[in-house]
Amino acid sequence: MFPLSLLTTAKGNPMLIELKNGDTYNGRLVNADSWMNISLQGVICTSKDGDRFWNIAECYIRGNSIKYLRIPDEIIDMVQEEEMPVKDKNKKSFSHRGRGGRVNTTGRGRGRGGRGGRRGEGRGNDGRGGPRGGAR
Amino acid sequence: MASALSEWVDKQISVITCDGRNIVGQLRGFDQVTNVILDECHERVFSMEAGVEQVVHGLYIIRGDNIAVIGELDAELDAKTDLDTVRAEPLKPVVH
Repeated sequence: MFPLSLLTTAKGNPMLIELKNGDTYNGRLVNADSWMNISLQGVICTSKDGDRFWNIAECYIRGNSIKYLRIPDEIIDMVQEEEMPVKDKNKKSFSHRGRGGRVNTTGRGRGRGGRGGRRGEGRGNDGRGGPRGGAR
Repeated sequence: MASALSEWVDKQISVITCDGRNIVGQLRGFDQVTNVILDECHERVFSMEAGVEQVVHGLYIIRGDNIAVIGELDAELDAKTDLDTVRAEPLKPVVH
């Protein structure tokens, strides 16, 4: 699991972020990008020594300046739930790809390709009348 | 020995951060820049006056910038160690 996918899963949830300068920001995660830049809402900022507080409605934190993030424990389970269906979907869509190999067991699909086709037909031809399947 | 962090996924690891903290937890994930997911983690605060204080933290993402060392925790040795009797000078932050 990637730290950044855990972070994006945590969207909408409260979290604590400590910056490299020691200040901490408590707020609800609105958005996070692939640089770990973060926007928070309903923020309480605490100074390094914990003796001063600021109420901030909304703020944007550059990912660069983050030391660590503390997020609710249950988020880690939500990531797995969301990752698995994506994998399944990929597999499914993959199996729908390509043609042929289903009904006739020769492995050649119906239609285009194979030998034959429009070989030798002139340009002026209207394009109809060529053999359809793999010619045999 | 591990040549990559992937060998330690779901194992107990110990992280020493650039600000001199020691955080112990289960490695749940990591990425190219050593950002790390630590589950059920706690911080071990060392001092000369008292035994090791363990502060429970929960689920953490530690940014790679802030990590100095990562190591696998020897569970057997850890179970044998009585942290209340350990006295140690806290680590100094990394000087850049």
